[in-house]
Amino acid sequence: MRTITLRPLRAFEVSVEAETISPSRFASLTLGQIRTQEVFMGNWKMKLADLFKVEGDEPLATPEETTIVLEGDFSKVKRIGEGMGAGTLEVRGNVGMRAGSGMKGGLMMIRGNADDWLGREMSGGKIVVEENAGNYIGSGYRGEKYGMRGGEIEIGGSAGAYLGEHMCAGTIRVKGDTGDFPGAVNQGGTIFIGGDTYLPGAEMTKGSIMVRGKATMLPSYQKAEVVTLEGIQYQKYVGDLVENGKGELYVATNSA
Amino acid sequence: MIIRGGIVYDPANGIFGEEIDLCIDRGRIVEDAKGEEIDAHDLLVMAGGVDAHSHIAGAKVNAGRIMRPDDARLGMEQATAVCRPSTGYTVPNCYAIGYRYAHLGYTTAFEAATPILESRHTHEELEEIPIIDKGALTLFGSNWEVMQCVRENDLKKLAAYVAWGLRASKGYGVKIVNPGGGEAWGFGANVKGIYDPVPNFDVTPAEIMKSLAQVNESLRLPHSIHVHFNNLGKPGNYTTAIESLDLFKDIKPSRMRQVVHVAHMQFSAYGGTSWKDFKSEAPAIADYFNKNHFCTMDIGQILFGSATTMTADAPLEYGNAHLLHTKWSNHDIELEESSGVVPLVYLRKNPVNAIQWAIGMELALLTKDPWNVILTTDHPNGSPFVNYPEVVSLLMSKVKRQEELSNIHELASKRTTLTGIEREMDWCDIAIMTRAAPAKILGLEDKGHLGVGADADVAVYDLRPEEVDPSTQHDLVKKALAVAKYTIKGGVLASRDGEIMAAPVGRTFWVDASVAKEDEERMMEDLKEKFDRYYSIKLSNYMVQDAYVPNPVVIKAGALPVEEVAP
Amino acid sequence: MSGQEMKTRVEEDVLCSFCGCLCDDLVVEIEGNKVKNVRHACRLGASKLMGHERIRTPMIRKNGKLEEVSYQEAYDRAAQILVNAKRPLLYGWASTVCEAQKKGILLTEMVGGILDSTATVCHGPSILGIEERGLSGATLGQIKNRADLIVFWGCNPAEAHPKHGLRYSTNVCGFFTPEGRKGRKVLVVDVRQTRTAKNADKFIMIATGSDFEVLSALRMFVAGKGEFVPEKVGGVPKEELFEAADMMKAAKFGAFFFGLGITHSRGRSKNVGNALALIAELNAHTKFVVMPMRGHYNVAGIGQVAAWETGFPMSIDFSRGTAYFNPGETAACDVLSREDTDAVMVVASDPASNFPRGIVENLAKVPVIQIDPYENPTTLLAEVVIPSAIAGVECEGTAYRMDGLALRMKKLVNSPHPSDEGVLNGIIESVKKLRGTEAEAKAPNEASA
Repeated sequence: MRTITLRPLRAFEVSVEAETISPSRFASLTLGQIRTQEVFMGNWKMKLADLFKVEGDEPLATPEETTIVLEGDFSKVKRIGEGMGAGTLEVRGNVGMRAGSGMKGGLMMIRGNADDWLGREMSGGKIVVEENAGNYIGSGYRGEKYGMRGGEIEIGGSAGAYLGEHMCAGTIRVKGDTGDFPGAVNQGGTIFIGGDTYLPGAEMTKGSIMVRGKATMLPSYQKAEVVTLEGIQYQKYVGDLVENGKGELYVATNSA
Repeated sequence: MIIRGGIVYDPANGIFGEEIDLCIDRGRIVEDAKGEEIDAHDLLVMAGGVDAHSHIAGAKVNAGRIMRPDDARLGMEQATAVCRPSTGYTVPNCYAIGYRYAHLGYTTAFEAATPILESRHTHEELEEIPIIDKGALTLFGSNWEVMQCVRENDLKKLAAYVAWGLRASKGYGVKIVNPGGGEAWGFGANVKGIYDPVPNFDVTPAEIMKSLAQVNESLRLPHSIHVHFNNLGKPGNYTTAIESLDLFKDIKPSRMRQVVHVAHMQFSAYGGTSWKDFKSEAPAIADYFNKNHFCTMDIGQILFGSATTMTADAPLEYGNAHLLHTKWSNHDIELEESSGVVPLVYLRKNPVNAIQWAIGMELALLTKDPWNVILTTDHPNGSPFVNYPEVVSLLMSKVKRQEELSNIHELASKRTTLTGIEREMDWCDIAIMTRAAPAKILGLEDKGHLGVGADADVAVYDLRPEEVDPSTQHDLVKKALAVAKYTIKGGVLASRDGEIMAAPVGRTFWVDASVAKEDEERMMEDLKEKFDRYYSIKLSNYMVQDAYVPNPVVIKAGALPVEEVAP
Repeated sequence: MSGQEMKTRVEEDVLCSFCGCLCDDLVVEIEGNKVKNVRHACRLGASKLMGHERIRTPMIRKNGKLEEVSYQEAYDRAAQILVNAKRPLLYGWASTVCEAQKKGILLTEMVGGILDSTATVCHGPSILGIEERGLSGATLGQIKNRADLIVFWGCNPAEAHPKHGLRYSTNVCGFFTPEGRKGRKVLVVDVRQTRTAKNADKFIMIATGSDFEVLSALRMFVAGKGEFVPEKVGGVPKEELFEAADMMKAAKFGAFFFGLGITHSRGRSKNVGNALALIAELNAHTKFVVMPMRGHYNVAGIGQVAAWETGFPMSIDFSRGTAYFNPGETAACDVLSREDTDAVMVVASDPASNFPRGIVENLAKVPVIQIDPYENPTTLLAEVVIPSAIAGVECEGTAYRMDGLALRMKKLVNSPHPSDEGVLNGIIESVKKLRGTEAEAKAPNEASA
């Protein structure tokens, strides 16, 4: 097992794009090579070591055996773990936008908060956020038909709006509340919301959403039977009928 | 500049693969020149490619961009010392259009459809496309004034309006799309055939097409009418195509060219009565073109993958969107036209798409004279233009076609004749289909060939025609055509091995046709009323001002002596 | 003053540089070098063309005070700020002509910045909706000649677009609509009874923030699935929505105009997407088109120009040499609220008045360059102020009407100031100088002079 640790050298005035921070990329690089990887602070092209202190094990390893630990404030650092296929990325704090976008495998542990577009278009692997997450978690890109295509996202706190927009497969679990429109235009996959939400499943055609708390409902869902899942009673709805959808929406009955 | 030692294919001048040095001076091909030498020894050399039908500029192209950021991100390329950033695949930004044509060795492209009212926008975009020369075809097929003149059977007045419309739009030729259908779409309807009257206007598509063809010849326009037939994209529509073509049989061309050019024939060569028994009628169409020489076509090849369909045939696009349940943009243009945009993906395993693919191939291969059938993908309707090398390599290799046929839905073999077609095109055929014929069809005298006096637009490809067998080495053909070794535009080296070396400003061709004053006055009375009562802007704000075409080539036409003026 | 200067002339068919209606029927009386009177314009347009107190000279803030400088000094200072910035934002662009917008995009590319327009605080959500759904539109003349039903949703043209009804929609006579208002129905949906609503044949007052649900309910009725719709949606009884849906289906040609009431209430881009879907679905029954009511006269233009130049209509980030687009990440409000920009250039706009307070506070923390004919609250924050000629009055150029129609604005009088395009060219030259060689600064495709 090889561990590499990064710490920001200072607070960043503007956001940094560092898609190079990924076990898949670091695995085959020496520490010296890692330090010279290209990152951008705004329009300034820089080396990783210009912005971060890079330490860790020198011997190369496979991506699976590579762990990256991010210590300190990474909330202005975007695109971490982009496209990662294996290994572990542990963020001991907050992380910036688009973390784990296009992720295919491996594990991303975020001990703090995650920003918008976490796991955008991800197709595999697992992302765990211990605190809150922003908007468009597990969604797609603007104008694109497909969002998350597989994998898992777990959020310990609450999530923002447009959770899992355009999702087609995979699972998202949110312990707390979500913002507006979770599971919009969904074509598959499963979303579990522990808390309250607003207008879930708008224009959904397939997939399922379970809401343990309260949900403000759309006028375009058909009421189905009451079902019991894991000991809790849920009212089942089918829709979104505006799209001839066959998505399944379950809202806990004791919350209504 | 001298391009030394290339193997030149210049069919317009009877040169079929001879080693010739090309001399260039002040943007033209000359007898003798000095200066920079380009080593093209043993390499394939042709005139710069000419695209006679491509959707590259204007409101519907931009509507495609605006609704497709998903497409824009597919073609992201960095700015360089010479280049602005590029984006897009099926709907590239203006800069990418110029750079990518140059990489293909193409130096001229014509926007296939602009409504007069929105031509200012079209020219704003054309002007931003670097390197290539361009022009735009003006839409007349659902225009109220056109239909009024046709109804009154006043062809002189119609001629005056067409001349005025070309001037107002700074357009190059007469484009007709689903004649009458654009008007019917104003209330959500369509015309069903060429003898189905346009609602409220008491004229038929057949009358519109025939009248515009007659007027086109009376004005002696450099290009013939350019038609997108009624019922395009529908099973069984080949009868509409043949019925329409028969309208033009007796019209005499006023220049040495066709009297009608059929746009993207593939979409109008369909048999069957529904998508279930959908089949090719390409052999019937090719047979017609083999027997009649007043007409030409471009194939409108589809290729598997992403496309953005866009056309002034708005009801067709509504049908596409409805069928595919996908995003749809529509844009109606008061008194003139309508249009639509729908993104889609052509799939190998989809029987309809597979048959469509085979139909394009059949049309190109079964039509005997390559001067009558030119290469297009109706960019970006069938596929983006960057994929022309794929089409060329298919036309040159039966092996490649059979490979593809074995990968796609089996109905492509059963419902078309492609499996049995042995023909493999040679470099001469390709040079005709991609430059010489499109230039001749458009009436661009200095394009598409390399004779003395021609524009110094030259493509040199990294392929030795005497060593490569396109039939078996089709991958080499595709690779070489995708990235020209050198593309020279107007005597300037624009692209080398996929790198843009310079981005010279291209010119815009438009046609200024004169008519008798009395006809124009009569026509202006009509127009004055239309502007006073029906248009939403003033007549004085309508015409495209000179500022929008800062590098024009004005082709004179009409009753007065024809002369080309390049100010 | 000499007699020559006092001579009065009349310019006809003048374009109005106020709102997205871009009326082209104004008659302007000019005395000497001054607009004396404007006829056929609405009150808003006339006041815009008459002009008011101007910024007189370029200024640079020194020791907290704006001091007069030459244009060249101002260009050089602006260039210096932009070149030194890691993530400059070049914002505004709605109230100037396309020729200036093109130069703005070039400059943004050169300095690796972010370009965004005021659409981000008005119809930006509409663009996101269009990206999901497309837009079934038409030119305004098509609506004038054909529409027998006009729907205004979350917009109030009676006050914001005063000539809209007379020229294009409710009251105008056209080919198939010879009776004007008498032959048309007008349906208004809003959260309050506006002046527009008072003149409607049918007005539906919905609860604030319920646009999405109400639109979904209408889609259900249009699709014949009304049985599943609850008794009340957005505070409106089911029957009333059924009637509205029926009215829309019964029209021969319907036109649906929407405004900030949809784009800036809860649901935003999703509301727009739902409205666009409703209109698309109505086309299975009749003919229906839809159009955003654009505010500034050329806010549609920056969307068009940006799309053909960069592939994206707004919020474009050039920091890595490519064009990247992701509103929510790259829009003006995003980078300002996250303190993710270190210099801002404002062109023909006033973010200090239009942005939320927290964002304005962040704006005040970074150097601001302003290019504008007029002083406004943004001037108070600016480090460099560069006055320019008024487009459409003092210089000509292209503007796009709310329906996407391009028209040419006229020059009526001379200006002591350079145009926005001229100012931007000046800054571009200064950037090239700072960068050392001209070759290093990216040579654009210099098409027009």
